[in-house]
Amino acid sequence: MNPPEIPRFTASGVWRGCVEIAPVAAFVIPFGIAFGVAASAKQVSAEVSLLMSALIYAGASQFAALDLWVAPLPLATLALTVLAVNARHILLGAVLAPWLLRVPRIRRLAALFFLSDANFAQAMAARERGEMDAGILLGSGLTMWICWMAGTSVGVAAGSLLGDLSRFGFDVVMVSYFAAIIVGQWKGRADLLPWVAAAAVALAGSYLLPPGWHIIAGALTGGIIGAWRHG
Amino acid sequence: MVEEWAAIGAVLLLSLVTFATRIGGVWIMSCVPITPRIEAFLKYMAASVLIAIVVPATLSGSPRIWVAVAAAVVTMAASGSALGAMLIGTALAAVGRGLGF
Repeated sequence: MNPPEIPRFTASGVWRGCVEIAPVAAFVIPFGIAFGVAASAKQVSAEVSLLMSALIYAGASQFAALDLWVAPLPLATLALTVLAVNARHILLGAVLAPWLLRVPRIRRLAALFFLSDANFAQAMAARERGEMDAGILLGSGLTMWICWMAGTSVGVAAGSLLGDLSRFGFDVVMVSYFAAIIVGQWKGRADLLPWVAAAAVALAGSYLLPPGWHIIAGALTGGIIGAWRHG
Repeated sequence: MVEEWAAIGAVLLLSLVTFATRIGGVWIMSCVPITPRIEAFLKYMAASVLIAIVVPATLSGSPRIWVAVAAAVVTMAASGSALGAMLIGTALAAVGRGLGF
């Protein structure tokens, strides 16, 4: 029998996480810039754009929120859409649970606040190599967050200087980015039915439902058909 | 135009929702295991929500938006770079606007 492993959470682990993810985190900066610019294009103030990046800190859901950012703000639709876009975090957390449930609660919550796809992937790779220190998750999350904030700041500043953003094609930043993410998630023919169903329901809903609800209808359709066919 | 206080309130709400998804997995695992069916639901819902945003937004847009999104899809399929796809889609949309589409 293997000796019981003792998860740790130390300052040196945090620092290792900070440094090791830097090359990956640098690639977040252009996306942060894109978000800042897109937020400016939607007339969102600099303060609110930065608050979004600081507290929500989840790129795809921030872009999705911008799509629904019209007065009066549709709070229920916004909350459900952000929930749907970020539901994958639940899976990441579930995978990390055996590790994180053994560190003190405050540190666990701090590490989870900064959880993202990229630092999750890096932490799992480190775990494969025998890393025991859950502090790397917090460290890598901090570096990612700093890059995301730096990018957002530059984008917000640029957006307010540039004026009409469709001249530069920035009105399609979000749809282009989402389209690319969707293509990247394609795993084969099994995805076809849930995806087409989601698209069809969303398209029909965009004519028939109140603004924004077609997104939730499409998301639930795809999720339910996917679970039914492949669960 | 969205009022500033309403915007800040909405951001706080969305922050709480997002934080709940971040801590939710660990919390659920401390109570029950996640079944393959729940896992498939979450996975397909994550892709479907983006599809549900992109497809209607693209089809209701002008031809320059169709071209930009198509180019992003092809770039991603060919190179695997989401950043490259975003840049090429944006560049084509700018060119399209310049040409008057």
